[in-house]
Amino acid sequence: MNDTIRDCWKSFGQFASTFGGFQLFSFRLVPYLPSAVRRPWLVTEQIYAIGALSLVLIMFGGLFVGMVLALQSYSTLVEFGSADSVGAFASEALVRELGPVVAALLFAGRAGSSVASEVGLMRATEQIAALELMAVDPLERIVLPRFLAGAISVPLLAAIFSTMGILGAFLVGTVLLGIDSGVFWSQISSRVDFYPDVASGFIKSVIFGVSASLMAVYEGYYAQPNAAGISRAATRTVVITSVWILLLDFILTVVMLPEA
Amino acid sequence: MLAEDLSANLVEIHDLRYSHGDREVFAGLNMRIPRGKVTAVLGPSGTGKSTLLRLITGQLNPNQGVVLFDGKAVCPCSRRRLYATRRQMGVMFQHGALLTNLNVFENVAFPLREHTDLPEELIRQIVIMKLHAVGLRTAWQHMPSELSGGMSRRVALARALVMDPKLIIYDEPFVGLDPISMGVIVQLIRQTNHSLGVTTIVVTHDVEETRRLADLSYLIADGKVAARGTPEELQNAESEVVRQFMQGRADGPVPFHRPGPGYAQQLQSMARA
Repeated sequence: MNDTIRDCWKSFGQFASTFGGFQLFSFRLVPYLPSAVRRPWLVTEQIYAIGALSLVLIMFGGLFVGMVLALQSYSTLVEFGSADSVGAFASEALVRELGPVVAALLFAGRAGSSVASEVGLMRATEQIAALELMAVDPLERIVLPRFLAGAISVPLLAAIFSTMGILGAFLVGTVLLGIDSGVFWSQISSRVDFYPDVASGFIKSVIFGVSASLMAVYEGYYAQPNAAGISRAATRTVVITSVWILLLDFILTVVMLPEA
Repeated sequence: MLAEDLSANLVEIHDLRYSHGDREVFAGLNMRIPRGKVTAVLGPSGTGKSTLLRLITGQLNPNQGVVLFDGKAVCPCSRRRLYATRRQMGVMFQHGALLTNLNVFENVAFPLREHTDLPEELIRQIVIMKLHAVGLRTAWQHMPSELSGGMSRRVALARALVMDPKLIIYDEPFVGLDPISMGVIVQLIRQTNHSLGVTTIVVTHDVEETRRLADLSYLIADGKVAARGTPEELQNAESEVVRQFMQGRADGPVPFHRPGPGYAQQLQSMARA
């Protein structure tokens, strides 16, 4: 019994120190922000590596989620005689929820894990130490561009995900389910507004992007410099980011849901 | 007298104490690295040679004592001052530590691009010159993953030299090299020291190569300088530790058996548990 309590206390301590370390790490990055403005190409390079190269996955994911969404919602909506609003249902769900959440989850799996293991491997192969000894701050040169690139990429990827999803729903709706394309689009334009739908989705995706990429660079930067440590950093990035995004999504939805 | 000493030594370490956790790594270490000479820091594995390197470069903070570089204390307290000091140092890592996403040319150009505003044409000339000095001018397009261990170290040396440092530190430069690569590295260390007059520290446990290379050797054991002198002086030293190390004997002051409870006692206590 005593051991159980001690173990719990120890895990709590570990959680607290990780959480605190994570916050301290984020604060340490703030003073470097101006340097990214001075050398924007370091960020664009990373946007290509972690954002643009995630595009195929995101587009593929969006397309199929939209298609499934249309099929699933049709079977319910048709019972209430509102099969025409399949498009509106799918796009609202995509823009507000699925776009930001699933894009961020896919991003964590595709790019977050690769950033964490890349930075961790740089530490293990003494590249971080070499930078420090060349009087180059690794936080400024390595960590900050990757963090910013992720934070910029996720909202864009979420937007692309939603767009592809709506296209997927459109394909299924018009070709498979026989909904008139004019009705499909007019339903969307009457139900989905910039505010609150697109705006709340955008705010979510920004918050998810910042958390996901911050977690990836944090785990990578403080990874144990060996094979086991790096693989653990990649795993932790995906697991913690996913849990965190789902939790945050619930909180944000509660806060931002319109009082309809 | 003191002023003369300061100018004669590029690096001075005074009464350095450093503990890692409970383990005392250095207990009052004193060391002088003369300007323009090759100084070897020898010692068995685990005596904190790498720790010493980190203390000299300010990656670690001593618990007590001071490291002077060019008369000024190396101090991790101010990042700006520390980085200004580090620009005058070059370190060649054991495995090169080249940036894996940049090719050989960009790796060598990296410090120039980070710290100077030199025009592209001049950067190209400097980089090619440094690569030529290490014999790898034609490999400028290769990625670090395509290089052998010895070649990586040579590129790392070119990178360490590109800012014309006052001090260059080699961390275990001879480990895991074939005889030819070894000869190349030895020649490069000697050449850069002679032709550029760069003060050189070689951290190693390789007695043979040290004999060929060093003007002065320090042997570290038990957190202190066990011996200091030319390679010949070290060879003929009285101290048991020094003789064990120089002759490579398995047992001696550095024991073969890791210290701890006796054989019988351990067996008994393990049986009980």
